[in-house]
Amino acid sequence: MNSHATPRIGQVSGSPAGPETAIATILLIEDEPVARTSMAARLMRLGYRILQAENGRVGLDLARRTRPDLLIVDWMMPVMDGLTFCEAVRRDPLLKSSQILLMTAHDTPAQIAEGLVRGADDFLSKSASKQEIIARVLAGLRTSRLVRKLETTGDELKSSMVLLEKKQAETEADLQTAAAFVRSLLPSQGSPIHGVTLAWEYQPSLTLGGDLFDVMVIDADHLGLYILDASGHGVAAALRSASLMTFLRVENILQMLGSYDPEKVLFEANRRFPLSADGDYFTLWVGELHLPTLSLSYASAGHSGTLLSSAQGPSRWLTHASFPLGFDPSAQFTRDHVSLKPADRLFLLSDGIYEAPSPSSELWGRGRFQEVIDAGKQTSLSATIASCFSVARGWQQAQHFPDDAAVVGIELTECQEGGFNG
Amino acid sequence: MDKTAVLDLSEALNRADGDRDLFLTLAGLFLQESSKEIASARAALEQQDHAGLAAAAHKLKGSVMEMCAPRLFESTKRLEELGRQGELTKAWPVCADVETRLVEVHAVLRELIAGGFPS
Repeated sequence: MNSHATPRIGQVSGSPAGPETAIATILLIEDEPVARTSMAARLMRLGYRILQAENGRVGLDLARRTRPDLLIVDWMMPVMDGLTFCEAVRRDPLLKSSQILLMTAHDTPAQIAEGLVRGADDFLSKSASKQEIIARVLAGLRTSRLVRKLETTGDELKSSMVLLEKKQAETEADLQTAAAFVRSLLPSQGSPIHGVTLAWEYQPSLTLGGDLFDVMVIDADHLGLYILDASGHGVAAALRSASLMTFLRVENILQMLGSYDPEKVLFEANRRFPLSADGDYFTLWVGELHLPTLSLSYASAGHSGTLLSSAQGPSRWLTHASFPLGFDPSAQFTRDHVSLKPADRLFLLSDGIYEAPSPSSELWGRGRFQEVIDAGKQTSLSATIASCFSVARGWQQAQHFPDDAAVVGIELTECQEGGFNG
Repeated sequence: MDKTAVLDLSEALNRADGDRDLFLTLAGLFLQESSKEIASARAALEQQDHAGLAAAAHKLKGSVMEMCAPRLFESTKRLEELGRQGELTKAWPVCADVETRLVEVHAVLRELIAGGFPS
């Protein structure tokens, strides 16, 4: 006759149909056994999984262990009443977003306000009809699902952020390694050969730069030098520049062309490094210094930045209009010659240094660069180059340049005997 | 005697969603719990514990509501109010009334449990 045995407090009851994942769990906290059994039976009949507790303290412990979808709590109970339970839930990090239906016969505006202030989400009259119970439970569960979804999305977002930060750290570490490699390709400062001093300063706009340069001993009488500028910045530009740099190595050029003739070097580079599908290209200035005569032959492919700072006379720019590499496969690059004198300085520079913009977008310009070079004739080569960077940074009022900035200086040092290089 | 004033069986069954087995389960539980609850109320009254009286009456009122016993409900509700107000002198006769009406409800429920529902 009696098929409705009273469910034990703190245990799961109910025989809902359907898959486990689709069943909402409701924790019913009520001290009066008849009322609790009655409400539990009605909710089970609606298909929910029901947990039961006889006071707020037991309910709180059960809620922490099971994280039910909805909490239905009696207002007046011994040990811990419904309002105290609501406050405890809102303070609990694990439970604070739970939906709480407060069961009560108290329905004055002041009592409802107190219930809401202390943490209830909605109210359920003890004399509520079946329809009202269904409506309020469904509303509570709907909100609970939305809150849970929001929490899950938030958790996923946090996980994604952690993963992203890890990946960014890995990428940054890779970039630092690549930057160290690129920097290792640059020449050592000091004296690459007797009678020549080399100094440079280089600041890529990003971790990896696309402007590279070298000063190389070709043989006892010849010094090769170049500066190249890849369009664009970053990893892609740096990789393309490293490729061109490999091509420009002395042993490679000598094996391929028999000499480091700037005209031939540019012609071959132009042939081997055509404009990329994305429109990327290089500008390149190549020089060869014959040390016994101090004769410099040079050629430029669209590169406009080499300044000869004469110890005795005015400075002059060693360049003339030409296409960058890759624009015209049949392009010819004119070789020029200039005679240097002891104590002359030659500066190879990328446009990033003199195109530093002021806050009002006015470029620093080659004229101002030349003024700093001329003013530094009496100071050391490295100090003059450092001064260039310092003044350019002051001009743009920023530490970092928007483009790769490089200045390479070589100085012909006079020999003690009065001649050069013996 | 107006039987529905003692226990409105139709309403009580409706509250149990028409489930007679559930109603009988609740009735058996009510017989146990309400006896304990009225004993608690009387003990509180004897000890001049008005808060205890209100709490016991409140709990009894909750179970009476499930049984749909209107006269017992009104008496129990009055007893809770008097306990809450600290009117213990007035509470004595009301408590006696609750006990009398509870006996009536118990009798009806025992009859139902033993003899089944009237056809």
